Amino acid sequence: MKNIATVFRKEFYRVVSDKRLIFTTILLPGLAIYLMYSFLGGAIGNEFEDIQSHEMIVYVGNVPDDFSDYLDTLDLNVIYTDYVASEHDEILDLILIGEVDLLLRFPTTFDSDIDGGILSDVLTYYNPGEKYSEFSYGVYMTELNTYRQSVAYDRYGEAFYVFTTDINNDEHIIIDEDKAIGQGFAMLLPMLIIMFLFSGAMSIGPDSIAGEKERGTIATLLVTPVKRSEIAIGKVLSLSVISLFSASSSFVGIILSLPKLLQGAGEEISMNIYSMGDFVMLFTVLLATVLVIVGIISIISAYAKTIKEASMLILPFYFLSIVMGMSTMFSGEAHSNIFIYLVPLYNSINIIISILTFEVVATQYILTIVSSLVYVVIFIIILNRLFESEKIMFSK
Amino acid sequence: MQTLEVKNIVKTFKLSKKQQKLEKTKEKLKVAVNDLSFTAYPGEIFGLLGPNGAGKTTCLRAISTLIKPDSGDIIVGGSSVVKDSMDVRGKIGFLTSELKLEDHFTPSYLFTYFGKLHGIDEELIEERKTVLFSRFGIDNFREVKVGDLSTGMKQKASIAISLVHNPEFVIFDEPTNGLDVLTARSVTDYLVELKNEGKTVILSTHILSVVDKLCDKVGIIINGKMKICDTLENVKKSHPSNDLEEIFFDLIEEDELGGNA
Ligand SMILES: Nc1ncnc2c1ncn2[C@@H]1O[C@H](COP(=O)(O)OP(=O)(O)OP(=O)(O)O)[C@@H](O)[C@H]1O
Ligand SMILES: [Mg+2]
Repeated sequence: MKNIATVFRKEFYRVVSDKRLIFTTILLPGLAIYLMYSFLGGAIGNEFEDIQSHEMIVYVGNVPDDFSDYLDTLDLNVIYTDYVASEHDEILDLILIGEVDLLLRFPTTFDSDIDGGILSDVLTYYNPGEKYSEFSYGVYMTELNTYRQSVAYDRYGEAFYVFTTDINNDEHIIIDEDKAIGQGFAMLLPMLIIMFLFSGAMSIGPDSIAGEKERGTIATLLVTPVKRSEIAIGKVLSLSVISLFSASSSFVGIILSLPKLLQGAGEEISMNIYSMGDFVMLFTVLLATVLVIVGIISIISAYAKTIKEASMLILPFYFLSIVMGMSTMFSGEAHSNIFIYLVPLYNSINIIISILTFEVVATQYILTIVSSLVYVVIFIIILNRLFESEKIMFSK
Repeated sequence: MQTLEVKNIVKTFKLSKKQQKLEKTKEKLKVAVNDLSFTAYPGEIFGLLGPNGAGKTTCLRAISTLIKPDSGDIIVGGSSVVKDSMDVRGKIGFLTSELKLEDHFTPSYLFTYFGKLHGIDEELIEERKTVLFSRFGIDNFREVKVGDLSTGMKQKASIAISLVHNPEFVIFDEPTNGLDVLTARSVTDYLVELKNEGKTVILSTHILSVVDKLCDKVGIIINGKMKICDTLENVKKSHPSNDLEEIFFDLIEEDELGGNA
């Protein structure tokens, strides 16, 4: 027990006393994610603002007076130019190159057609490949619809509607806001969590074990009267704690950049929909998960001859874990099959989803934690064997 | 009984393709140590003498439990390397060039670290640190990272750390390699001191003068086999020239003739 603590402390100190490692494994992941997401959020926000503030250039022909008056009340950011039939082709060319956003033409006979009950066709021309044109089209289609309804209402009165929906129905939208937000988290977070834990462990695991083999420092440790299992446990625990730090850093990066990322959506999203109990459960799952991940990485690192070889051999497992995370991203729903909760990592992903969507089943949670711990014990036994094998430890 | 008994150990390595090329051989197996036996006693320095590739390091690694002999056993103060390897590791101080210290840490930190792993309490560790560090002139470098130390200073730090637990059995593989005469002298002086304290000391070397000056007993290994093993005096007497160098060359010549026949 004492030896485990000694090995743990030294491995931990190895990282936290090294400025370069602190930066690359603890600060950098969070910083990189924060900057990336903030930049992404900023870009989306800018785009949105840019379109909003754009002055639309719209050519109009024969707009009926009542519609024209109505448009004036809307305070749209627009410049109107009158349509001249002889310039028709030129205007279309200008729309094509994005100089003009929209052409809106009412037939000359529009008013009489309406009065005479003849179906009249209003013509619009726009370019969906141009964002301003696309936006302008959207704006004017909405207003045309409003206008159409008012014209129809004038003619037919109430009867025009045929039927209405939900005018007096206060309970129309039935949504558990928390659950909806939770669903969003459940689609996004499991994959990211697994990725962050994995990449944190990947950045230090190979160096701590394969690196010690490569540099010949593991032999110095192996001639001490310390059980190989104690060395294995000490290393796995310290790697796990550091990986958790690294993952937390990434997590903080996401949380901090969330407001910027969602500024366009204008929604209020925060983690405080979850109770203390949810967080405790989440934390225990993360702990069990990181131990499994570090166990896998440690075994590979102990088997590999060099850091490079270890990093290479870990990659397939990393990708596999990402694929597992992605598979749930689309459904955002946890499996109900009990055996799923025996599959390492996949069980973590599913139980994380359950926690985030407030649908944890006790047996599934317990199964996940217990099976993960069983895997960790198995991994430590394997690691112990590898440390005991002179072929593995001193292969040249 | 604090003796160290090597009993008929055999160690065979499988050679990889790369090693086969390096050793210029087509054989897949290399018998590095072939039925080797000797006993080292407390209060004596036992010298393992042999040319490069003779099997000295392999033999010492087997004593240190880093590798297991294919057959035979080594009894270190009553503990078997095969059965009670943990006990053996607690009793020996082992030094060889392949046991490296981590560059990132200072000699002082590592001394304490390995002291703790040997189960020594911190006060005693500090005491021994002061003694050994001043003894080997590491005092001024105790807080310098190992990566920034010179080769000689690294070697001295390794020696000090291998002795942190004041082991009864001191097993040093070419301890003076890479050291200047002055430092080499301080190391050999210390080995004599250890011997006088009643420790069992085994060292390997291919430097004849070290054996001549230092060792009470000597075993000459050639090609994994113990050619002669006796007190230094008796070994010398066995040859008309009474000279270790002559004996060494004769034995090598004899082995080559035997090998060709
Ligand atoms: N892990 C290994 N795999 C394959 N062959 C090995 C291994 N270790 C040692 N050998 C071989 O065993 C033989 C004995 O090696 P050893 O290192 O014991 O020699 P030595 O007497 O210490 O030589 P030196 O004076 O050069 O240090 C050599 O031929 C060496 O190549
Ligand atoms: Mg050697």
